[in-house]
Amino acid sequence: MAESKLTPNPSGGQESVPPWRDIRIIGIFAQIAFVVLVIMGAMWLLGNVTDNLGRLGGFRCPDGTSSFSCGYNFLKVDSQFDISESVIDYDPSDTYGRALLVGLMNTIKVGVLGIIFATILGVLAGIARLSDNWLVSKATGWYIDLMRNTPLLLQLFFIYFGVILLFPPIRDAIQLGDLPVYLSQRGINMPGPVFLPSFATWLAFVVAGIILAFVIWILLGRREERVGKASNRAFWVVFGFFTVSIIGWFVASNSNKLDQSFMIAKSERILAFTDLADNMERRLGAANLNEIDLMVEEGELTSEEVDEAAYTLCVISESASEVNFTAELRRLNIPYTVNRSTRPDQATAKYAAGECEIYVADTVILTGERPLLEDPFAQAIVPTLERPVRISIPEIEGLNFVGGIKISPNFAALLIGLVLFTGAYIAEIVRAGIQSVSKGQSEAARALGLSESQRLRLVVLPQAMRVIIPPLTSQYLNLVKNSSLAIAVGYPDLFAVAFTTLNQSGQAIQVFLMVMAAYLTLSLSISALLNWYNKRIALVER
Amino acid sequence: MTVTLPATDYSKIISCHNVNKWYGDFHVLKGIDLEVSSGEVIVILGPSGSGKSTFIRCINRLEEHQEGDIIVDGITLSHDVRNIAEIRREVGMVFQQFNLFPHLTVMENVTLAPIHVRKWSREHAEEVAMKWLTRVGIPEQAQKYPGQLSGGQQQRVAIARTLAMEPKILLFDEPTSALDPEMIKEVLDVMRDLAHEGYTILAVTHEMGFARTVADRVIFMDGGVIVEENEPLPFFNDPQHERTKLFLSQILNH
Ligand SMILES: Nc1ncnc2c1ncn2[C@@H]1O[C@H](COP(=O)(O)OP(=O)(O)OP(=O)(O)O)[C@@H](O)[C@H]1O
Ligand SMILES: [Mg+2]
Repeated sequence: MAESKLTPNPSGGQESVPPWRDIRIIGIFAQIAFVVLVIMGAMWLLGNVTDNLGRLGGFRCPDGTSSFSCGYNFLKVDSQFDISESVIDYDPSDTYGRALLVGLMNTIKVGVLGIIFATILGVLAGIARLSDNWLVSKATGWYIDLMRNTPLLLQLFFIYFGVILLFPPIRDAIQLGDLPVYLSQRGINMPGPVFLPSFATWLAFVVAGIILAFVIWILLGRREERVGKASNRAFWVVFGFFTVSIIGWFVASNSNKLDQSFMIAKSERILAFTDLADNMERRLGAANLNEIDLMVEEGELTSEEVDEAAYTLCVISESASEVNFTAELRRLNIPYTVNRSTRPDQATAKYAAGECEIYVADTVILTGERPLLEDPFAQAIVPTLERPVRISIPEIEGLNFVGGIKISPNFAALLIGLVLFTGAYIAEIVRAGIQSVSKGQSEAARALGLSESQRLRLVVLPQAMRVIIPPLTSQYLNLVKNSSLAIAVGYPDLFAVAFTTLNQSGQAIQVFLMVMAAYLTLSLSISALLNWYNKRIALVER
Repeated sequence: MTVTLPATDYSKIISCHNVNKWYGDFHVLKGIDLEVSSGEVIVILGPSGSGKSTFIRCINRLEEHQEGDIIVDGITLSHDVRNIAEIRREVGMVFQQFNLFPHLTVMENVTLAPIHVRKWSREHAEEVAMKWLTRVGIPEQAQKYPGQLSGGQQQRVAIARTLAMEPKILLFDEPTSALDPEMIKEVLDVMRDLAHEGYTILAVTHEMGFARTVADRVIFMDGGVIVEENEPLPFFNDPQHERTKLFLSQILNH
């Protein structure tokens, strides 16, 4: 009785609804219609593509048949074009496949660094936007408006042509204070890590340390539950990790004696690395090499005398031995100058001619070169301590920098452009996220005596994160996709390399499919990662 | 030789002299004077918009007053962040909307400030937190999130969170106004216990039963001034001012 009053049709129950008005049937039909439309569209597209492929001979195999996999045979052909910068080894005799891999890695490089820096900038700018300080808040507002209201392409051009390319040439490079960081038309040169062969050994220890940390975390957690008392879990985890890593560092340092050695005339009576320091002290008449600077300052030594006494090294350019050896000399404050050669025989010739006192190379090269010298057994091959990672410092040599890490102007322009642009959007997202946290939260934090930075870090930001993450994800995706504007500033990203590949090989459809798949994979990975994180920080509600 | 005594009475844990505050042109607090002795329980009454919340929020500097002095436990409230921090250690506050941190468990809510402000070890902070959660009657909820608790339970967590910082003074701003009737009692019971334990309490509340039985003094505010203050018995039975009478008649006949 009561039910029939609720139905608009008084003559019957639910059964009598005509099918064209039944919401369930309408729903099913709508879905079927949609699927049919999609399939038809896809078939039309596919037909077009296969027609074109047939015309262009895209998927043709050498034996005249045609198959999908044959379409990708061109990947094994030599690319014959150069790529200006690469994370892995590459030259024009490498294949198209490798060229595309280089492009992909360049895209990932700018994407990962861009996301990291844009996030840092965006969070800071978002907080600054809400600052009580009028100037800070206004200035950030101007930055955000400027970035959001001009095209990214224009900004990239401006940064590249209007800023970076107007830096001085290398010989007048701008040095940042006394730091070994140089800005020039060729980009930025700065100190950077060099990974020596023993790095692999150390890495194994670090990984073991991480595993140990996990095990400790879990075991102590179980114990806490059993005993019902908190233990200092974080401390033991960190302690375990660092102990293993530090032990690994020393094991790795001593594991690779064969690779790092130097040669020197026996007359110097230098049989161990530390003798170099003693010998230098004698040369300079200094009691302690750390006092050299002081002695020069006080006039007991002239800098010319120091330069005169400095060891002259013959090294092979871009060799790990050079980095390892000079880093050790710098650590001991021993003055030195470097004479670089591209090949071992050139270095040997210079050493034989007396252009340098010390020949730095790995043991394999040195044992090969020693018999060629006039008095082979007067030359001692003495091991140097190898560290898994050494810092290499850039130096100007002729018209170029050697050592350190180099950031190309193209990469710098793209990275800076993407970071500034995306940072502005992230700042707005962060601002909105912070504002979404109720004022009561801040008041409670203040009333409890938390400082302003603790309030932000412990109370506001963790809650703002829930609002921030979804739009942040799309900004990360935008950054990665926008990185394809690299072509405008000459950075060889995936799209730029793909474009060259496509022009040269003529395999347009295959290349486009691959590039699309690559961007799709990158985007989906970012989304998956952030969605996972978002789930983890979701609030528990009743 | 005569000694002139300072105007400030140091036996008072809170002294307010001629406190004035404006929101833009709007004069909210018009020369509030109030002395509170240690251990005293004060209930503040008054119509909506009379400045009750604004006044007690000035005491721990959630709001800034523009004129007059507020001295809490010998510390004069000033622009010095160190002063503000010291006063906030002495003064705890419980809000109408609880303001628990929804992303943290009950235990984490209570231990957050002790760990980061008092720099206690987590172990010690959790011990103390457990003590207070037991005191307010909800030790079994420690690992839940605020969103999983009832309103009354949430407010009791908020009280435990405040007490864990070991304040001498407690400010309550309508702590029961957001609660269903059956939960009001559990919160008032906790407040009553605290009053008997010697905490200095300033409570804005419309719970007349609490004001009558627990307060040492009742203050009636209207239009940013203290209109009348007295012990509860004379205050309720024999109000002096017209405005007080009107307010009481409205609230009691309600
Ligand atoms: N941030 C603000 N800006 C401007 N005016 C404000 C602000 N906060 C409060 N006011 C005003 O100040 C007056 C006093 O507010 P307050 O919150 O102290 O009143 P109350 O006595 O606590 O009232 P209620 O019982 O409704 O909580 C009100 O008229 C209010 O509109
Ligand atoms: Mg109020």
